[in-house]
Amino acid sequence: MTSHSQSAPRGSVHDQVNLPSPTGWPVLLAVGLALIAGGVISSGYVTFLGALIAVAACVGWFRDVLPQERHVPVIVVPQEIVIVSSRRKVARMAPRGLARARLPLEIYPISAGIKGGLAGGVAMALLAMFYGVVSHRSIWYPINLLGAVVYAHVQVTAPEMEAFHIELLLVATALHITTCVLVGLLYGTLLPMLPRRPVLLGGLFAPLVWTGLLHSILSIVDPVLNQHIDWLWFLASQIAFGLVAGVVVVRQVRVPTWQYPFSVRAGVESPGMMGDGDSRD
Amino acid sequence: MAADSIAVPLPRTESRSLLLDWLCTVDHKKIGMMYIVYALIFLVIMGCEAILMRIQLARPESTFLSADAFNRLFTMHGTTGIFFVAMPILIGFGNYFVPLMIGARDMAFPRLNAFSFWMTAFGGILLYASFFTGGSLLHGGDAPAVGWFAYAPLTSPAFSPGHGTDFWNLSLLLAGIGSIGAAVNFIATVLCMRCPGMTLGKMPLFAWMNLVTGGLILVAISPLTAAQLMLMADRFLGGHFFDPAAGGQPVMWMHFFWIFGHPEVYVLIIPSFAFISEVLPVFSRKAIFGYPAMVAATAGIGFVSLGVWAHHLFTVGMPSYGNAFFVLTTMVVAVPTGIKIFNWLATMWGGKIRFATPMLFCIGFLFQFLIGGLTGVMLATAPFDWQLNNSYFVVAHFHYIIVGGILFAIFAAFYYWFPKMTGRMLSEKLGKWHFWIFVLGFHLTFDFMHVPGLLGMPRRVYTYQAGRGWGVWNMISSIGVIFQAAAILIFVYNIVHSYFRGALAGNDPWDAWTLEWATTSPPAEYNFSSVPAVRSRRPLWDIKHPEDPDWKYE
Repeated sequence: MTSHSQSAPRGSVHDQVNLPSPTGWPVLLAVGLALIAGGVISSGYVTFLGALIAVAACVGWFRDVLPQERHVPVIVVPQEIVIVSSRRKVARMAPRGLARARLPLEIYPISAGIKGGLAGGVAMALLAMFYGVVSHRSIWYPINLLGAVVYAHVQVTAPEMEAFHIELLLVATALHITTCVLVGLLYGTLLPMLPRRPVLLGGLFAPLVWTGLLHSILSIVDPVLNQHIDWLWFLASQIAFGLVAGVVVVRQVRVPTWQYPFSVRAGVESPGMMGDGDSRD
Repeated sequence: MAADSIAVPLPRTESRSLLLDWLCTVDHKKIGMMYIVYALIFLVIMGCEAILMRIQLARPESTFLSADAFNRLFTMHGTTGIFFVAMPILIGFGNYFVPLMIGARDMAFPRLNAFSFWMTAFGGILLYASFFTGGSLLHGGDAPAVGWFAYAPLTSPAFSPGHGTDFWNLSLLLAGIGSIGAAVNFIATVLCMRCPGMTLGKMPLFAWMNLVTGGLILVAISPLTAAQLMLMADRFLGGHFFDPAAGGQPVMWMHFFWIFGHPEVYVLIIPSFAFISEVLPVFSRKAIFGYPAMVAATAGIGFVSLGVWAHHLFTVGMPSYGNAFFVLTTMVVAVPTGIKIFNWLATMWGGKIRFATPMLFCIGFLFQFLIGGLTGVMLATAPFDWQLNNSYFVVAHFHYIIVGGILFAIFAAFYYWFPKMTGRMLSEKLGKWHFWIFVLGFHLTFDFMHVPGLLGMPRRVYTYQAGRGWGVWNMISSIGVIFQAAAILIFVYNIVHSYFRGALAGNDPWDAWTLEWATTSPPAEYNFSSVPAVRSRRPLWDIKHPEDPDWKYE
């Protein structure tokens, strides 16, 4: 590795800087290797010439860097460089005295999202089972349908779909709880970012978008499943989830957002974070 | 860091001509410039090849080009684009700006740096020498006609007589040596030559991404070199590595090539991410959103990209577990990539965006790279790929990435850093003309190119019958090329004109935050008169805003 020797300690202006001296050996070595390659196509003489040039270039290169790398001194004439912003300065907002606030200033705790997701999941499941009773005289129909998304054990016939299957119940329950908790966590994260009518946005707008998206692609992704879905009821159950999850989440007590990264809060001293005798505000 | 200096070379015993200065230079900035100029020349050449191909395909049953000439053109176009345009230009920008951004005086190995450039340069020259050998120039001489991935057994002497394939093979071997040299230099420079205070966590994303790229190049080029040596053994020494009749395996070439070839895509796109990650915050007037996530996503992309190569082989036939593995790994790449896109959007969100030309190209990149990424996810699905592999849908997809993504990022980099490299601004007016005409041409060409692919048009056909429903789409695609060519002409004119007559840039025309803007434009031979010391990821912000420095929060 090259060294760039300096005649003064770092951090000050130097009178002279030593830089690696220009050299023709690298380009000559490249010429030699290119001729070796070209000779493979054209003639052995070209390869031989290339090899000679390459060897000469290697020797020259070694002599350039051994026993000590060659340098060329360059004089430095100090020139003033002013580093200022070209933009005009504006008054800064400093909520709660924080020069740089991490927004939002308050968030819901993780538990709020979990609670909201689980509550929404119960509302959704009840509505779905109600749909099963009304449409198919069986609460198992929507459960089997959900389970069959990942566990295609049941034949797609009406009696089978309306019957009780323990494995489908387990799969559907696991799937439902997992999804509801994850979406609940998403609500817990997103709702503080939607200051105006969060329940309306989370409870109505999001389910509409999600249902519309799914409706547009499910016929391609899973046509069989698509045939068994009543989209009106599907939308209703999504809205039920969204409203209940949204209401539960917004009723939780918010906590202040951590304003400094973990390393700063933990008092880790690393280059850049210490010095100047600054105490962090 | 309030003072810098101008360089006054000490008197030398012999006077060097300008040419000799450039031939013998080991200065990373001059080498970076040579990479960039060299790549620009090849950009124009490959553009001309594309124009010829699009003229041929504009109408059905065209006789503008012969089948043989068409084969040579698409081979040269692809090979040039990847190895002699995209890689050199990205390595060139890295060469120029990595040392400046980390407060170093040069790359770690300046002589190796020069050698790497010249190897790449001679690789390109050797490749194009093939046009002047063998048959007539009008029919492409003896230029290779095996496609840029040169599948076996097409490369065997029986199917590719003459030396076209050897030109391809040897030129890429030379360029590969250059790329490995550049990679070693990037890694050593970034790891060993950072200025005081610049921990890895305070390094500009540009340097991080060039570090990851360096690692990827080291891992990816080696299998290609190994396969190329095997191919040479087959063609010159009577070997049978890829000869099925003698127990060889053509599929082995595919694996070797794509173990190189797919990480290569990331070798090209990660430096493009680096450009976007530097330009976007400056023109949004906000620090990059989620710096640690960006670093992790870059490393994640680099790592995962090494395990996706066989999605290029879905149609060759693999066991179901093989298919499933490569579908999943390919789709997993979308996760860190998505993180990056969201972080760039979050950087812009709420920022005071200035729609200068570099920013326009960044926004174009974001939109087009997203679309290209989504069609990539579609093609990552094995059954979808079975239908559309080797169709024009695939051609449209990867041009969305390479032109819509990488080239747009390169243009952003040009407009952003040209003032630093030359001391003069590129014309904003011409830049906006360049942007809008190129956007129009790009979308005309590559949006509509998806359609003939979906309708079953295979790639690499030199013509097609009328009445198949492909004609109108091909005509629109070809018309788009006219706009792209016009935009490139504007760009080249802008560069040449601005180099001589552009407005003076000053040291920091964009009010930016990284170290390269703390020195003169163009920088002195030694970059900084005194080695800077930094305390945050935005050292110039700290100086400009002492009342609210970044280092208190990082």
